[in-house]
Amino acid sequence: MGRPIRRKRLETSLIIIIIVLAAWGLIILFPFYNALLLSLTPREVYVRNPFLLLPKAISLDSYRALLNNSGILIGFKTTSLILLSGVPLNMFLTASMGFCLSRNSFPGKRLVFFLVIATMFFNGGIIPLYITVKNLGLMDSLFSVILVTAANTFYLILTKNYFESIPPSMEESASIDGANDIVIFTRIYLPLAKPILATILLFYAVDRWNEWYHSMLFLQRLDLVPLQVILRNIVNATSQTVVEVDTGRRLFADGIKMAAVVVTMLPVMVIYPSLQRYFMKGIMLGAVKA
Amino acid sequence: MSDFGTRVGLLKPRWAGANLTGRQSGLRQRLFKARYIYLLLLPGLVYYLFFHYLPMYGILMAFKNFNANLGIWGSHWAGLTHFEYIFSDPSFQRAFRNTLFISMGRILFELPFPILLALLINELREGRSRRILQTLFTFPHFLSWVIIGSIMLNLFGDQGIVNMMLSSLGLGKIRIFSSSDLFRPFLFFSNIWKESGWSSIIYLAAIASIDVEQYESAAIDGITRRQKMWYITLPNILPTVVILFILAVGNAMNAGFDQVFNLYNGAVLDMGDIIDTYIYRITFQGPTDFSFSTAVGLFKSLINFALLIAADFASRRLSGKGLFH
Repeated sequence: MGRPIRRKRLETSLIIIIIVLAAWGLIILFPFYNALLLSLTPREVYVRNPFLLLPKAISLDSYRALLNNSGILIGFKTTSLILLSGVPLNMFLTASMGFCLSRNSFPGKRLVFFLVIATMFFNGGIIPLYITVKNLGLMDSLFSVILVTAANTFYLILTKNYFESIPPSMEESASIDGANDIVIFTRIYLPLAKPILATILLFYAVDRWNEWYHSMLFLQRLDLVPLQVILRNIVNATSQTVVEVDTGRRLFADGIKMAAVVVTMLPVMVIYPSLQRYFMKGIMLGAVKA
Repeated sequence: MSDFGTRVGLLKPRWAGANLTGRQSGLRQRLFKARYIYLLLLPGLVYYLFFHYLPMYGILMAFKNFNANLGIWGSHWAGLTHFEYIFSDPSFQRAFRNTLFISMGRILFELPFPILLALLINELREGRSRRILQTLFTFPHFLSWVIIGSIMLNLFGDQGIVNMMLSSLGLGKIRIFSSSDLFRPFLFFSNIWKESGWSSIIYLAAIASIDVEQYESAAIDGITRRQKMWYITLPNILPTVVILFILAVGNAMNAGFDQVFNLYNGAVLDMGDIIDTYIYRITFQGPTDFSFSTAVGLFKSLINFALLIAADFASRRLSGKGLFH
C-alpha cells in the first residue's frame, strides 16, 4: 500500500545532477559573458581596474570604433555574398546527387558512389588544390571559395539515406503515368524530403558563415575578405591602444577585439535557439537511418 | 472458350515483353532509361572531378622538384628524395609525434565526456529547462574556432581574467599560451567545452532508443539511479561508443587543425605543432618548396587512408556496417 519511500533518495541524486549540469551551463556561458563585458566597457574603467566581473559602466565606444575603422563591413558583405550564392549551390548539388544515388541501380552507380565516398578517405592536400584553383583561373575570385566547398560528402550521405527511406509506393503512380526521373525528383521526392533538406540547409549556412581557411588561401584582394578572416586580423593585431580617428579618444584593443567577436557571433546567437531543434532532429534522423 | 484468351496470355512467347531493338540493347537500353539520372548527376560529378580528383594530379609534385616556370609536367624528377628528407626533419618528427599524442589524448579525455553529459541530461525530464540547457551546451559547436579561439586567448591569456583571478587569490599565473606544458591539456579542455554538448546528442539518441522494459523490470526489484546508468544505459549504448571510438582512431592524423591553428603560437610549437599546422607553415610561412609540402601532405594522406580503411574494416567486422555506408 503506498509507494516505497524511494522518492527521497531520488531527489538527492537528481539535485546533484541538476547542480552539475547548471555548473556546466555556467562554464559554457562565462567566456561569452566575459567577451560581452569587455566589449561594453569604456577604456578608462578598464585601465583602472582590468579585473572586471561585473559591469561598472557601459559604453558603445568599442563598437563605434569597430564599425568606423575596420573592415568589418567588408567582412559582412563578403560573407553574405558567399552565403547567398554558396548555400543554394550546396543544396542543389547535395539534393540532386543524393537523389540519384538513392535510386535503383543504374549503369555506373557503384562507380559514382565509390568516387564520392573515396573523397572522404583520401585527398591530395593543400598544394594540389591550390595549384588546381590557380590553373582554373579562380584565384582572387569569390568563386574559388564558393566552388571548393560546393558539396559536403557527409551531408550528401545523410540526404541519400533519407531519400532511400522514402517508400517507393510514393512514386509508383507517377511513374506509371510516365513521369521521368527529374519530375519524380522535383514533384515527389523533394517535397517529401523537407525535414532533411531543412537540416542540411542550416548546416551549410553555418559552415559558410564560419568559413575562413580557403578564403585565406585563395583571396588576396582587400575588398573581398570574409568576416572570419577580418576577425582574425583584428584579434591578431598586437597594439594595445588604438586611437579613435575622429575624436582622438583612446580606446583599448581588447575591447575592440571582443566587440568584433560579439558582432561576428551575433547572427548565429540570435538564430540558433529557435532553430536548434531542426539541427538536433536532423542529426538524429541521420544517425538513426545511417 | 471465353477464357482461352487468358490461357493464351499465360503462354506468351518468351520474347514478348523483351525489347526487340537488338542484341546490345541491354546496356544501351538501361543507359537510355537512366538518362535523366545522368543529367541530374552531372553537376555534382563535375564538382567532385574538378575539385577532388583533378587536384590529385598535383600529387606528382611530390616526386619532382617543382619549378613554377616549368610547371608540373616540365619539372625534373626527384624520385623519393623529398620523402627521405621528411624522415630526417626534426620538425616533422615533432609534428608527427604531437599529432599522435594529441589524437590519443582526445580519445582518452574528449570521448568520455559527452557520454557523461548525455547520461546526466537524460535524467532530466523533458521540458523547458532541459531544452534550455541543451541549447546552451550545443551552441559553441556552431561557432568557428576563429571566434572561440579569440575568446579563449583573451580569457586565459597571461593578462586575461582567469590569471587575474588567480593572482588576486595569491596563486601563480597559469601560462597556457606562453609555454608548452599546459597547451595540450588546454586543447582537450577547450574542445570538450566546445563540442561535448553537440556530441552528446548522438548518445542521447542512442539512449532514447533503449526499450523501456529494461528499466521497468529493474525498477521492480528496486534500483538506484546510478545502478540504472551503469548496468542498463551504458551497456546499451556501448555499440555507439565503439563506433565513435573507431571513427576517432581512423581520424588520428587530423588532430584538429582549426583549433590548433587559432590557438597556437611560436612558444607552444614543441607540444602543439601538428602535421597540418606544420604543412601550413612550411608552405605559406617560409621559403616555399611546393614539392616538399606536397610530399608531406601525401605522406599524411596515405597514413590517414590506411587508418580509415582499418577503421572501416573494424567497424564492418563489429557491426556489419562500414563507416560511411
